[in-house]
Amino acid sequence: MGIFGHFMNFKAVYLHWGWLQISVTNLLIILSMVAIFLLALTLPFPQDKENQK
Amino acid sequence: MSSPRIQDLESQPWAGRTRRYDIIKEGTIALLVVTLLTIAASMFFGSPDEKQLTFKSWAVTAPADFYQTAAHEIAGSSESAGYGAPYNSASDGVNVGPLHLAKIFGVSHPVNSVNDFVVTPLSTQVNTPEVSAALKTWNVSDLKMQQGWASKYDDALTKANGDQAKIPAGALADFGPVPAMIGGLLTMAQSGSLDAVLLSQGNYFQFDNTKQTLFMGDGNYFNDQSTASHLQGDTWGMMNETGRYPGQAWLWLYSFWYQIPPFNNGDQHPFGANADAYIMVIMGLLSAGLVFMPFIPGIRSLPRRIPIHRLIWKQYYKQENL
Repeated sequence: MGIFGHFMNFKAVYLHWGWLQISVTNLLIILSMVAIFLLALTLPFPQDKENQK
Repeated sequence: MSSPRIQDLESQPWAGRTRRYDIIKEGTIALLVVTLLTIAASMFFGSPDEKQLTFKSWAVTAPADFYQTAAHEIAGSSESAGYGAPYNSASDGVNVGPLHLAKIFGVSHPVNSVNDFVVTPLSTQVNTPEVSAALKTWNVSDLKMQQGWASKYDDALTKANGDQAKIPAGALADFGPVPAMIGGLLTMAQSGSLDAVLLSQGNYFQFDNTKQTLFMGDGNYFNDQSTASHLQGDTWGMMNETGRYPGQAWLWLYSFWYQIPPFNNGDQHPFGANADAYIMVIMGLLSAGLVFMPFIPGIRSLPRRIPIHRLIWKQYYKQENL
């Protein structure tokens, strides 16, 4: 069931903008994916830091 | 085609800096991290725990809807009875222009709504004398007679908005054994035995729920539950999951087409009525475009025109003054 399983099985909250409809959970997942992608673009490789020394 | 200069560059061996890279080590670390994250996520969030929909819950919660759906099944007027391939030959099924995709592959999973959903389940039971007599009458009658009774009862029930009490008593003789059979099926469903019988109409190990899904999908009960959980196609249902769990966010593009004209025009428009087939073709073409991207002029040059890779490897390009 999981520690937050009870909370997760409640009715979901959905956001509407015209024909676009998305659950808050899906929106959070998509925003997290975009954030990880942006971090992958901007964060330096650990190797790069060593090379700078 | 690439220019001669680019072709020349592409054919030359790499002359720049190299470094050691252990892909096995990196893959092992990635697998370990993902495994730990999966275990942690399952410990914290569990999995969707929606109550199972059964014929018993349907027949107890919405008996009128079950009854009317069963009348549609025995009359052959339900959505599944007229669906066409792969279940029957009642229609040509969805098409893309002149191509009837399902029909090409034929009836690979035959479903007879009258026998599979009504007659066969009833035949497995010890029924009341009234239902037994009705079933016997049905079995000894010819097809024309059976269809006549079932269609008349289905029409009368539809006119009465599913309320049997509103059907004139004098008309009952026109329906033959049908009302008793449907009543028997409702009782069977309410007792829970219809779930087991429908599941057992196949192999020894039964994992095929096609018949149950078709029968249940013909009624409003199943659809109402889907609507309440935002799982219908016109509300991006392909992307959603029950409760607050994340759904299949990667299907956003597949789901997107169902929200816009002409695919959201329902059955009134040729594109809307055949949206499944058209959208499958569109997504197939887009997927092929992704697979064959290196061969498509213009598209394959995008990394050169939009050099995101230079952002990732910015340190290298800086050091090499490139």
